[in-house]
Amino acid sequence: MKWRKADLQTYVQSKEYIDTIVLPLVPFGIANDEESKKAAIQSEMITLLSHELEKELTGRMLLAPHYSYLKSADKQTEIARMNMWAAEMKEQPFKHIFILTFDPSWKKYEKELESTLLWLPAVQTGELNSKEMHKTVREQVAQMVELIRAYWQ
Amino acid sequence: MSDEKQQVSRRQFLNYTLTGVGGFMAAGLLISPIRMAIDPVLKESSAGDMANVGLSVDDITEEPQRIDWTIDQVDGWYESEVNRAAWVYRNENDEIVAFSPVCKHLGCVVSWEGSDQHPNEYFCPCHDGRYYKDGTNVPGTPPLAPLDEYVQEVRDGMLFLGEPKPRGEA
Ligand code: FES
Repeated sequence: MKWRKADLQTYVQSKEYIDTIVLPLVPFGIANDEESKKAAIQSEMITLLSHELEKELTGRMLLAPHYSYLKSADKQTEIARMNMWAAEMKEQPFKHIFILTFDPSWKKYEKELESTLLWLPAVQTGELNSKEMHKTVREQVAQMVELIRAYWQ
Repeated sequence: MSDEKQQVSRRQFLNYTLTGVGGFMAAGLLISPIRMAIDPVLKESSAGDMANVGLSVDDITEEPQRIDWTIDQVDGWYESEVNRAAWVYRNENDEIVAFSPVCKHLGCVVSWEGSDQHPNEYFCPCHDGRYYKDGTNVPGTPPLAPLDEYVQEVRDGMLFLGEPKPRGEA
């Protein structure tokens, strides 16, 4: 399910079946031209991947809106905020909370997060609509599905 | 005198033009709600088109295979390419059957033999929903209806698929 009215209606009626939430984590920054371009690509890619993932597992997961952070921001502050998000989600109760990111700098804070960090290696920056990209996306989504299913078991 | 006349007519001309533009805009405003009312109808007819899914009927066997294709869809504000998928096989009466992979419980994507524990069945990873080979839901699992079936057609030996329909309507 996506973060939109129609899906939320289904969610409210079928809460007992939807125990997983996926939170895409995207960097933002406009100060440096190159960096901001990279951040934008990450945001596009994560939108694409998370939408495809949502399509596969729509009946059991809710795709949360993007959580964005400044590249320069203090990680501890962000982690505290993310854990607040996680606490709210857990109360619903969502049993599985996955944070999706391309940014490797989160990896070392993994233990402090009260959710599961799914770090994805950044894909080559090709044309988003090319044939190869479709294939890459499909493969990556299949792997994410496998991974999430492993947590479900 | 003739000058005066011309000026008037120029002013009139401008007047007409502006009224014209204003009228056009007003018409635009009027048209939008009508368009909105009509649009869903238009959408349906274009989505009802059959798409060549790139599969020759000779390649369809008794073993369900997954095929993917894209269609153009106008969805609200955007026109976009939408991915579609189907499980296609030949049943015991030698008829081609194409199922939508969307689970009838809450919409996850099912796979043929998606679970090692349940061979010869479609499996939904979300809540272990299951379907027999002919698309019928396995009693006791969450789905309460059989998989939807695509409207289909064979043209020049190629498979064309339309919209998925609940069983019995296809
Ligand atoms: S969505 Fe398929 S079993 Fe629940």
